[in-house]
Amino acid sequence: MASTACFVIVSRNDCPIYESEVGTAPKKDEAAHLHQFILHASLDIVQDVVWTTNAMYLKLVDKFNDLLVSVYVTADTHTRLMLLHDSRNEDGIKNFFQEVHELYIKMLLNPLYVPGSRITSPFFDTRVRTLARKYL
Amino acid sequence: MAPPTRAGDYPFAPVDRVNAELFTLTYGAIVRQLLTDFEEVEEVNKQLDTMGYNIGVRLIDDFLAKSNITRCSEFKDTAEVIAKVGFKMFLGVSATVSNWSADGSECSLILDDNPLADFVELPDTCQGLFYCNILCGVIRGALEMVSMRTEVKFVKDMLRGDDAFEIRLKLLEQVAEEYPYKDDE
Amino acid sequence: MIGVGRSKQNLNVVDRPLGKGKTEVSLSAFAFLFSELVQYNQTRVDNIAELERRLEDAGYAVGIRMLELLCHREKGNRRETRLLNILSFVHSTVWKSLFGKVADSLEKGTEHEDEYMISEKELLVNRYISVPKDMGAFNCGAFVAGVVKGVLDGAGFPARVTAHFVAVEGQPRPRTTILIKFSEEVLQREARLG
Repeated sequence: MASTACFVIVSRNDCPIYESEVGTAPKKDEAAHLHQFILHASLDIVQDVVWTTNAMYLKLVDKFNDLLVSVYVTADTHTRLMLLHDSRNEDGIKNFFQEVHELYIKMLLNPLYVPGSRITSPFFDTRVRTLARKYL
Repeated sequence: MAPPTRAGDYPFAPVDRVNAELFTLTYGAIVRQLLTDFEEVEEVNKQLDTMGYNIGVRLIDDFLAKSNITRCSEFKDTAEVIAKVGFKMFLGVSATVSNWSADGSECSLILDDNPLADFVELPDTCQGLFYCNILCGVIRGALEMVSMRTEVKFVKDMLRGDDAFEIRLKLLEQVAEEYPYKDDE
Repeated sequence: MIGVGRSKQNLNVVDRPLGKGKTEVSLSAFAFLFSELVQYNQTRVDNIAELERRLEDAGYAVGIRMLELLCHREKGNRRETRLLNILSFVHSTVWKSLFGKVADSLEKGTEHEDEYMISEKELLVNRYISVPKDMGAFNCGAFVAGVVKGVLDGAGFPARVTAHFVAVEGQPRPRTTILIKFSEEVLQREARLG
């Protein structure tokens, strides 16, 4: 499993609606802030790449020192699944994204969930962390 | 006309059908609107019940026409018909009737599957919401049109963590049907 | 209580499988529900434009969800990035899933470059509802316009979408046309992509 891995779902107006540190490295607040900052900085690149392919998985889009940014954009192009990681594992990341995407669809279908609002379901969080352990 | 032996045996004409996802999401959009329009969840429950009532009083003719059922005079048969024919015809699922009170005036309709609630998870802000409350109104409205005044409410709700959806049905008054236009005084 | 834990777990939406979209309910159940949606919203507005906007909002909530669900289920997680493709997705995939058939037609507007029209001889939501005379040009299709808007907006093709009755020669009832007018940014991007 990756020692550093930070996963974020970004929605409309580049608003994060879910985030979790899913690496094995000890959790530190400053590191988490830096991770979010790097991911946020990649959004401009995502914006350009997203219209050049029909694929949802955009693979690696950016890097910062030895940290890599992989991105997956869902059918609703405002919803971007972003992962900051320090090890190359393209297939694992793809599987991780695809399964989180399916979980996200289940969240979205709930009529009481407002699209673009924070995902607060503890079941969703638990599942994402399980998938991270399995694939990353 | 002799009633069929088992309620589930009522034949009914094939009905036009529509994608359940359209139905479920449209209902969800209605609940969402009500939650936005009214601050109190209690008020939303009431509105859903009223909407259901409006549907029930109109739906009964459609139901009687398609189900080939004349009319049930006994409350007991009526409950079975709602559970086995009504739910099946409109929502594609059937309910079970159980928990009869000793005097036969109250029973429960139990649903394991409920297309209205597919996809739904109640957020913390909606505790107290009976998401499927429209069903109570539909039953109440429909029964009123066949001269049964009832009280209908959810006593178990899977969205609140119960093991099934249980709708409690209580017969309050049955107006004699033979004389619908009789003047009381 | 024994068993509660298990059934509660069955209920978590994350554990429920996404359906295949084959489940159905009776059309009259939908028609009754839809007419109640319209009637309820009539009590909340002062004019027809406001009523249409509220129906559009309700439809939008359906559309934005169907976009995500259908791209996953029917398109193998491919996104639509081009204007004609997303329009054909609406006209075929979305229509077939929601209304059981592809839409009758998809045409480009003759007067404006940024306009497209999806037409239906008898839109599902108009089949059972007759509009009172005093409501003028009110069209329940506003709900469907909202669905279309939700799909397009979600996919990154913001547009103004409206529903109109259009008289058809030789037909007693008008058809409904869903008029789509794309935002400028959409056309600029299309031009850029070539």
